[in-house]
Amino acid sequence: MKLLLVQLTRNKLGQVTRTQQTLNVDQVRIGRGSDCKFHLPDPRVAMHHAVIGSSGSDLTNDSTCFIEADAGLVTIDGTIERAAKLKVGQKIHLGPFELIVLQHVADVDLALSWELLDPLKDNLEGVKANVKVGLRNTWLSKRFFSWAGAAAILSVFLIWPVVSALNPPPKMSGAQAMASPVLASAITADASWNPGELASPHQGFGRDCAQCHTQPFVHTTNAACESCHQIIGWHFARDTKEAKAMHAAVFEKPGDATQCASCHRDHKGPMGLVRQDSPLCTQCHADLKIKVPRTTTANISDFSKDHPPFKLSMLVPGKTGREGIVRVSQDESGLKEKSNLKFPHDVHMEKKGIRGQNGKTVMECKNCHVPDETGSRFKPTTMKDHCQDCHSLEFEPKATDRQVPHGNVADVLATVNEFYAQAVLADTPIDVVFDEGARRPGERLNVADPAKRLAALSWASKKGATISQELMEVRVCFTCHEIKRVSVADGTDPKTPPTQTWQVEPIAVTQHWLPKSRFPHNQHSPYECKECHQVEKSKTSADIAIPDLKNCQGCHAGNITTTDKVRGTCETCHGFHVGGSKSGVPIPLPGGVPHDPKERAAKSVAVLQPKAHP
Amino acid sequence: MKHRTFLEYRRYRYLKVATLLALISIFVFAWYTFPVGRYGGTVVGYVLGTISALLIVWLMWLGVQKRRYKANISGIQGWLSAHVYIGGALIVLATLHAGFQVGWNIHTLAYVLMLIVIFSGFFGVFAYLRFPALMTANMGEETLDSLVQKIADLDREIRRTAMSMSDEINAVAMESIKNTRVGGGVFAQFLHRPGNCPTKRAVVFLEGIGKTLKGDQQKQNRDLYSLMLRKEKWVDRARADVRFKALLDLWLYIHVPVSFALLAALTAHIISVFFYW
Repeated sequence: MKLLLVQLTRNKLGQVTRTQQTLNVDQVRIGRGSDCKFHLPDPRVAMHHAVIGSSGSDLTNDSTCFIEADAGLVTIDGTIERAAKLKVGQKIHLGPFELIVLQHVADVDLALSWELLDPLKDNLEGVKANVKVGLRNTWLSKRFFSWAGAAAILSVFLIWPVVSALNPPPKMSGAQAMASPVLASAITADASWNPGELASPHQGFGRDCAQCHTQPFVHTTNAACESCHQIIGWHFARDTKEAKAMHAAVFEKPGDATQCASCHRDHKGPMGLVRQDSPLCTQCHADLKIKVPRTTTANISDFSKDHPPFKLSMLVPGKTGREGIVRVSQDESGLKEKSNLKFPHDVHMEKKGIRGQNGKTVMECKNCHVPDETGSRFKPTTMKDHCQDCHSLEFEPKATDRQVPHGNVADVLATVNEFYAQAVLADTPIDVVFDEGARRPGERLNVADPAKRLAALSWASKKGATISQELMEVRVCFTCHEIKRVSVADGTDPKTPPTQTWQVEPIAVTQHWLPKSRFPHNQHSPYECKECHQVEKSKTSADIAIPDLKNCQGCHAGNITTTDKVRGTCETCHGFHVGGSKSGVPIPLPGGVPHDPKERAAKSVAVLQPKAHP
Repeated sequence: MKHRTFLEYRRYRYLKVATLLALISIFVFAWYTFPVGRYGGTVVGYVLGTISALLIVWLMWLGVQKRRYKANISGIQGWLSAHVYIGGALIVLATLHAGFQVGWNIHTLAYVLMLIVIFSGFFGVFAYLRFPALMTANMGEETLDSLVQKIADLDREIRRTAMSMSDEINAVAMESIKNTRVGGGVFAQFLHRPGNCPTKRAVVFLEGIGKTLKGDQQKQNRDLYSLMLRKEKWVDRARADVRFKALLDLWLYIHVPVSFALLAALTAHIISVFFYW
């Protein structure tokens, strides 16, 4: 087979140069291999890419020439072929080479032109194209991220909250807000502004910021606080002109000092609303005598250093109002309580027990001192509940079911007199009533006989007087009460001699010795009563068993906690708003504050005012 | 003369300024009694907050200054020195301003963004101090361009050598020439040794096939293998260089956008505080 190969090469202007080569072989192997007669020098061509051969003997017939793929791909007119006959005009692609079957040429079995269509790129350019350096050549963009981040943050954390705050939902009260399911569940626009957890009482409506933050760019106002907190006390009573002026100067000047929020900062956690720090108090009280020369309040800077002795508030028997309470310093010598009640603690606290109506009883403190509802302090001790079980008011041993009433001398005398008159006049076996020999045993009084009746009544009257005197001056009433004999003149007739009677001195058992402080007894329950109140050897009710300053200082340090003591700031025992409220409703004492303002008022009065022993 | 970095500018002038600023803040914070707790709403809190906010704006001004002071390198050095040290002091100031209180809110978001900006900046300082030496150690006398030229020269030799070898070997060599990439996308720039590098595959392949060949073919294969090994080394060095350059760039892609996010958060923080005063 004679084969004519025409190589086409083009210069930059596209002009073609032809180079001819004639091969005379049976078969022509095409490839980049050096053993290929039809050599195509390019790595993209297979070593042995294809074979061209002739199958027929009629060498003039072009249809006998064929091409057959070997290790490479052969594409003929765009179609991949395994083997094909060659026809004039066919375009054959082998890698980057194009072969075209040419018109017959004399003496040649097959004429082909070949051309490298896609020369390999320059090596350097190829490598450079594969090297990509620098983040600026990637999708990362500082500018885009800057704008996007800033815009997102401003939208979510500034624009949205401001727009929503300026277009508030309908105003709700605190209670409504608490009940509103929308506020309870939804994420509010300004939630991201919340700098910290609210005080627990405020958390219910806390998602509605406008409850307290009523105006943009304005401090929270007292009005916002007072819309709920209507009963708030002054710091001290404004009951004199001077006190009023002083209060105004310190607490009512315009600006920050009047703000509730200057002390009560919210968003400080569930318990963070009330200041517990002593400096709040000591910034004035450390040198109060300089600031207010006429004050009777002592200077104090630290509980462990210069707290004055406790001042006891004792009831004054028979007096009410301001005169009913006397305040005395606990360090005064010979301090005695005048309660007009006889009560020797030692007798009652006898370890072996005390004889009562029901036999011997060993008494404990809690028998008489019963904690009140708050557990902080104690219910008043009463005759009915705490004494009468043992201290029966019987007056006649032969009639143990009869007792004199408790509470009023006149009633006692009347009861005694009536009892003996009734006994002597009624159809009662006399020896049951008395045994002075006026009757013989078994004899009955003839009531129809006026003389006898008179004699009987006279006896009853005498007997009544004797027993009454006994009750008032020897036993029963006298056991507990201070009683004095008095003469009462009949106002209507000056000639009538005054009647002899008795007066029970008014009882003034002090219930709250230290009303300006709070002492939650229940929080001190690990300690026994006697650790603070030494009464076991007290022989008289005049002894005062209120523990003194040193006693408290045994466990409580001052402003700074020590390793062995509990911190004791001013707030530990004292309140701030203790001076009577703006609205006129008395400020409840610490502990046991009823919810209803009226009840609250009544209760606080009841504790402060001296009250006759029931 | 020893080369001085911006950190040593004027005998650590700004390190002293920053330390003083931090110490004064700590002293005031410790000395002042905070009756309602230590936080941004106290007098000291407001003062620290105002100073911190102004510092943030001032520090961001470096971005503007950098473009203005093109001709004045020492001016830029001073600015950069101040930027780094005062930026570090800002951690102390802002932390004291917050009174160590954090929460899920815009205030802490601003604080966290600030920390991200500062610590990415610290990484930047570290990168500028550390990487140039590492880059020089990696490249020696070479530059990336000279490496590319060398790789291209090698490729030409590889192509020539592989031309007369079996199709299988030729294909592997061609794949290495065509598809060995250095750098590329964001993640590719950080990859020191990409798993599917055709040059590495070629090295492994040629090593394996060499054992099955004989005579001339084996010799040719050995030549090609040694060419491929050299190429692999150069490619590795080029990749390490690209990676260092990317790391030198990367922190700025955090530092700058987060700075602007911080500016936005700071604005929201300040307005929100006074909106609900």
